[in-house]
Amino acid sequence: MKSLILFLALTASAATKDATPRAADGHPDLSGVWQGGSTRKGSWEEANTGLGVGGTGTDPNAPANVSPSSPQPGREPAPYQDWAAKKVIESYNKRGVDDPAAYCLPPGLPRMNVLGLFPIQIVQTPKQIIMLYEYMNVFRIIPIGTKHPDDMVPTYLGDSVAHWEGNTLVVDIVGFNDKTWLMSAGTFHSTALHMTERYTRVSKDQIDYEATMEDPKVLTKPWAVKSTMMLREGTRVQEYVCAENNLDPGRYENLLKNGVNFQR
Amino acid sequence: MREAMRTLLVNSLLALALAAVPLAAHHSFGAEYDANKPVTLTGVVTSIEWTNPHSHFYLDVKDDKGNVANWKFEGYPPSVLSRTGWKRDATMKVGDTVTVFGWRARDGTNWAHSREVTFKDGKKLFFGPPAGTGDGGPIPAVDAK
Repeated sequence: MKSLILFLALTASAATKDATPRAADGHPDLSGVWQGGSTRKGSWEEANTGLGVGGTGTDPNAPANVSPSSPQPGREPAPYQDWAAKKVIESYNKRGVDDPAAYCLPPGLPRMNVLGLFPIQIVQTPKQIIMLYEYMNVFRIIPIGTKHPDDMVPTYLGDSVAHWEGNTLVVDIVGFNDKTWLMSAGTFHSTALHMTERYTRVSKDQIDYEATMEDPKVLTKPWAVKSTMMLREGTRVQEYVCAENNLDPGRYENLLKNGVNFQR
Repeated sequence: MREAMRTLLVNSLLALALAAVPLAAHHSFGAEYDANKPVTLTGVVTSIEWTNPHSHFYLDVKDDKGNVANWKFEGYPPSVLSRTGWKRDATMKVGDTVTVFGWRARDGTNWAHSREVTFKDGKKLFFGPPAGTGDGGPIPAVDAK
């Protein structure tokens, strides 16, 4: 009997340890510092340890690891209209010289949520979700249970409003400008972009993230991407003032002027 | 032999640990650097800039004839360096001799993207991401038509 009680107690404590934390209002609590595009549990160091973030950790000449934002062979093509697909490829061939991030501008959604080099902090209150991104030091304030304003001025990250569907926080975003990339090189969009994000904290360590992009001016059908965000206890979101010493636009100008061949 | 086995094992574990790490950088590798031009240089650190969006360090490198050239290396921003084991003013100091592996800039100047820095005591750290980081992946998001 004693051993049964001990067994039950241990099982309960293991379940509690991995269980999705709940806010006082009963909803899953998304608060924490997260690493996008990762599947590995642990602290930042444990999950990215070794010789630094990236590569295989043994061979410095190894290619970049698969980023969820980078398409790999065998992928389903992003559903761009023909004219728009041409534009994506033109941009891809230019190796990212037109990347908004290269100009210290917000990289775009959902891209910013699937990149793994910089942490994201989520602060949840009953009435709003705050997302703080180290990359470009941008933030999102997402009210829960409200509607988009009537008079939206287009912005880089759009206007986000959220509601709960069971254990999932659903974020509806409209009001985008057309200056960001959705995912990998050249994945542009129009101001008609409507994005729906779903955040489900499936355990203490993991948020399942889904984003569906609809843009009738550019895409042929909704484009859905999935990724995971992993809890990074002990990590702090730091300052990243990109404009401090951004030498890249000047260098791109010179390269383009001199007719550089962006061979792969 | 035992040491070699141990190193192999540790390296294999590291490889496993890092296999799923995704990447992103401020800008595309391929726009400015040529993955077909790897370079390994040893020299004396003359200056280090912990700045955003990229940190840099400079190395005086002597050639066979004794001529010294100053090279500039680019890498991660300060927040990433400090998360991956670098300590400002401690890990690498002006006057230190280090060996750097990286890739040369497309413009042919004494400028390179730094990947791995090897210190005098044999310790190695990454100062920048792998070649190809942030430049769109092996294929575009759409099919060419």
